[in-house]
This record gives sequence, structure tokens and C-alpha cells, in this order.
Amino acid sequence: MIYHYIYIGTLIILAAMLFACLIRAVRGPRIADRLVAVNMMGTMVMVIISVLALMLNEGYLVDVCLIYAMISFLAVVILSKVYIGVYEERLHKTQKPEDNGSDEGGVSNGNF
Amino acid sequence: MGIFEWIRLIAGSALLACGLFIFFTEIFGIFHFRYVLNRMHAAAMGDTLGIGSCLLGLIIFSGVNFTSLKLLLIIIFLWFASPVSSHMLSRLEVATNENLEAHCAIYPDLETLEAEFRETDAQGGSDSSDEEKGGAV
Repeated sequence: MIYHYIYIGTLIILAAMLFACLIRAVRGPRIADRLVAVNMMGTMVMVIISVLALMLNEGYLVDVCLIYAMISFLAVVILSKVYIGVYEERLHKTQKPEDNGSDEGGVSNGNF
Repeated sequence: MGIFEWIRLIAGSALLACGLFIFFTEIFGIFHFRYVLNRMHAAAMGDTLGIGSCLLGLIIFSGVNFTSLKLLLIIIFLWFASPVSSHMLSRLEVATNENLEAHCAIYPDLETLEAEFRETDAQGGSDSSDEEKGGAV
């Protein structure tokens, strides 16, 4: 019985933190802010799913959590790659008449 | 309940509360810092340490079975995945920010950075803590 109260308390605290994280994802001034907040939200949702798996005594929810971890990681990597590509394409389009000077000191070596 | 049940309950609850405290620190850091490269420093802590101690507490609650093995697999996967995603996010920020010099010092290569560090060491190491040296890239 006491385990049930511990799980409920953990879930409530994690839900409040998830809401605070969502505020940061909405307010973040840059794209990287939002992606960092979404990554944190994914981590907290993983803990919530694991707590639910033990609370409901359903072992298969941990499999869901493992797949969620992989998809969250893939989403962050692919979204950052896509935003780098979109930015470089836009830079390329605006600087087309002069020359394609899109190398910012070797920062983006343009493998996208 | 026997003595081992009480030990299991206390150890698991302590680890779970420790993980929740680390998550709270993460939230505090992400609202306290002003720039995304600083915020990432706070946010990368929860991916490994926060979820690590939370799931370790759940493993202690669960006991030795197949569920705790899968929880351990999640922790090990996040140890590998979190640095890669943090690296990709910082690369995104550095590649798309046009006035990065306003937030941190940028060095074109490592030799200039090392030369500058050598200069400050020769002058005396006391004043080197005052000026910001955030070597990006």
C-alpha cells in the first residue's frame, strides 16, 4: 500500500515538472531552446512510463519505454540535422549573387 | 514487513527522491540561465544522472526479474544517447547563430586559444578567472 502512495506522489511531482518544461518549450527564444526542452520532456515521460509499469504491474510498459527512448533520441538528432540543412540552404539562397561564402570559420562543414 | 523489506523501501525511495531532486535542479537551471548553451549544461544532467537514479530506485523496488533488466537497458542506452544528442543540439546552435560572439568567445583554431592561455599564465593566474573564456567549437 505504501508503494502505491510513493508511486502516486512521484507521478504528481513529475507531472508538475513536465508542465514547467512545456512552458520553457513554448517560451524558448531559439530553436535549440525548444529542442532541449523537448528532450527533457522525453526523459521525464520515460520515468513516468517506468513508474506506471511498476504501479500497474504490467511489464510490457518497460518495452514501450525503451522504444520511446530510441525514438526520442532519433527525433532530436534528425530535427537538429534538418534545421542545420534548412538554415544553410536559406543562407545559400540569399548569398547566391556574390559568392557562396557559407563557411563560418569552419563551424559548419556542410555534410548535410 | 521484515527488515529487508524496510531496507528495500527506504533505499528505493531515497534513490527515487534523489532523481526527482535532480530533475528539479534541471528545471531550475533551464529557467535560471540566459543562453541555450548554458541551459544545455543543466539539461544534460537529467538525461544521465536523473533518470539513472530514478530507474535505479525502481529497479530496487522491482527486485531481480526481467523488468529490472530492461530498466537497466534503458539507463545504459541513455548513457550513450544523451551525449550524442547534446552534441547535435550544440552544433545546431553554433551553426545557426549569427552573433555567437555576443555570448561566448570564438577561436578559429586551437593554437590561438593555447597561445592566449599561455599569455595569461605568464602574466599571473589570478586575473584569468575574471574574464570569460568560453571556447566554442
